[in-house]
Amino acid sequence: MASLRKSFFIKARDFAHAGEASIHIQNLLKSMHLDSALVRRIAICCYEGEMNAVIHGGDANIHVDIETDHLTLEIADDGPGIEDIARAMQPGYSTASEEAREMGFGAGMGLPNMKNNSDDIRIECAPGQGTRVHMMFLYEAERGIA
Amino acid sequence: MTSEPYTTHYVRFDESRCTLCAACLKVCPTKAIRIRDRSSLRFVDQCIGCGACIQACTAGAITAATCKPENIGQDHVAIALVSPVLYAQFPNAMPKDVLLGLRHMGFHHAIDMSIFLEMFQFAAVEFIRRNRISQVAPWPLISPVCPAVVRLIAFQFPSLLPHVLPVLRPVALMAREVKERLIPGYEAQGRQVVLYYINPCPTMGESTIDRTAAPRQKPVVSIGINDLYPELKHRVDKILSEVIPFSETHLEFETCATGNAALVAMSGGEIASMKIEKSLAVPGLKETIRYLQKIEMGLFEDVEYFEFRTCREGCLGGVLNAVDKYVAKSNVHRMLNVYGLGRRIPRNTILRLYEKGSFQTDRSVSTLTTLFGNRKPALSLEQMQQIEQIHDRTTGWCCGACGAPDCLTFAEDVVRGQTELDDCTWISNSKTHKGH
Repeated sequence: MASLRKSFFIKARDFAHAGEASIHIQNLLKSMHLDSALVRRIAICCYEGEMNAVIHGGDANIHVDIETDHLTLEIADDGPGIEDIARAMQPGYSTASEEAREMGFGAGMGLPNMKNNSDDIRIECAPGQGTRVHMMFLYEAERGIA
Repeated sequence: MTSEPYTTHYVRFDESRCTLCAACLKVCPTKAIRIRDRSSLRFVDQCIGCGACIQACTAGAITAATCKPENIGQDHVAIALVSPVLYAQFPNAMPKDVLLGLRHMGFHHAIDMSIFLEMFQFAAVEFIRRNRISQVAPWPLISPVCPAVVRLIAFQFPSLLPHVLPVLRPVALMAREVKERLIPGYEAQGRQVVLYYINPCPTMGESTIDRTAAPRQKPVVSIGINDLYPELKHRVDKILSEVIPFSETHLEFETCATGNAALVAMSGGEIASMKIEKSLAVPGLKETIRYLQKIEMGLFEDVEYFEFRTCREGCLGGVLNAVDKYVAKSNVHRMLNVYGLGRRIPRNTILRLYEKGSFQTDRSVSTLTTLFGNRKPALSLEQMQQIEQIHDRTTGWCCGACGAPDCLTFAEDVVRGQTELDDCTWISNSKTHKGH
């Protein structure tokens, strides 16, 4: 079965370029005429993932796998990991630095937004081994791609 | 993308003037321009009428598809629809002088847009106020005033179409009023009427004078400010030579134009008098695209209203203006000093019209999609892989020698069967070298 993988490197604390991966993926999916609401959900999740990596994660890699019936988005960073995943999933809970907050980021909506906009989310992390956020999007109810 | 025309709905192309400099190729936001067979410019079916290519073309090969001001009012009743952008082209004249100048040129009526701008702003604020409770539309709402922005959204950001404020644009309000109130009287006399919109940009598109259409269906004909300017300037100067200059009259309310309306010609001027706390004005094509991308990624949900303009400095930066945009801006500042700010229409009158649905747009999300959506066939996963492979073989420098604006678009064109792989000089050269 055909599939397409795109990978992006995200540099730690590079606020100026956060969002580039999301824009790239948006353009890709649009030329495949994927349902525009679904494209937007993916774009939001990708952007939130990029921001998380920029704020907390150290350098990170994003992998997008476009399949015929679903899409997976994986953001893997070299950061300190998440201490309490359940708390991090609560809206408004944030461990962002003062620097990030001063720039208007770190409102504590990253993971909740990713959960709300994806069909499935898995977070793996161990102390000192970074964080891996794995998200899945199904096309079925919406328009698929050829 | 089936046909490859020399013109679009919004721009005309004169092949004899084209120097193939490729300046237009790179500036098109929807990548609608190609150079074919290394000899001629072609457009593909996705022009949004922003005018960027007209601005980029120094050879004068690309012009707006507007109507030229000839025989105005000679065998028909000519009605000029005038936006405050036109007033900003005249440093010492007041709006009333410009409107009189238009009548001396042959227009039977010259209608000022100010009151319709005020109505639009009122309706926009009212919709936003109610939306805080009803939440019928998603935040942030996006101004429908710049047509190029609306088409850009339909083409490139379809998920944001529900964000476009569903209120009739000022020009539409003005045209409707004229069609309902002015035209029937002339038609009853058996006289032909033509509506001319005096336009700072090519966004209104190709329009021909249709003499058979019923009054309400009559299309508005677009005239570029720059085409009209030399004669209008002459007329206005003549009027001015016969009156006391406005700066010496100290008469503030001499005309129907307002400071609020003058402000709308500039970037940020639409929202400046709208009293929406959380609103942002973003001018310029690149910035507009950048911020639309951000909104699509879920940012700015705390902003209620975005004023986008594809031209820098707003409509004063439109490519069909006659004077420099910064000079025009200073003229607007001067008008503001004379008029000050303030509204004229009683709130209750507009509120009554609002309740009647007078400001509701007739353009739904599906209409906008049909009109301006991306009509290119969807690419399959397999085709996406082919595009990746071809793109990997190009330099990625986007030199434009193939006639496409960038390497990725070239790769897509190849996969869509619209150009040959060997049109990339880098790919065809490396093939030759391998052969040796």
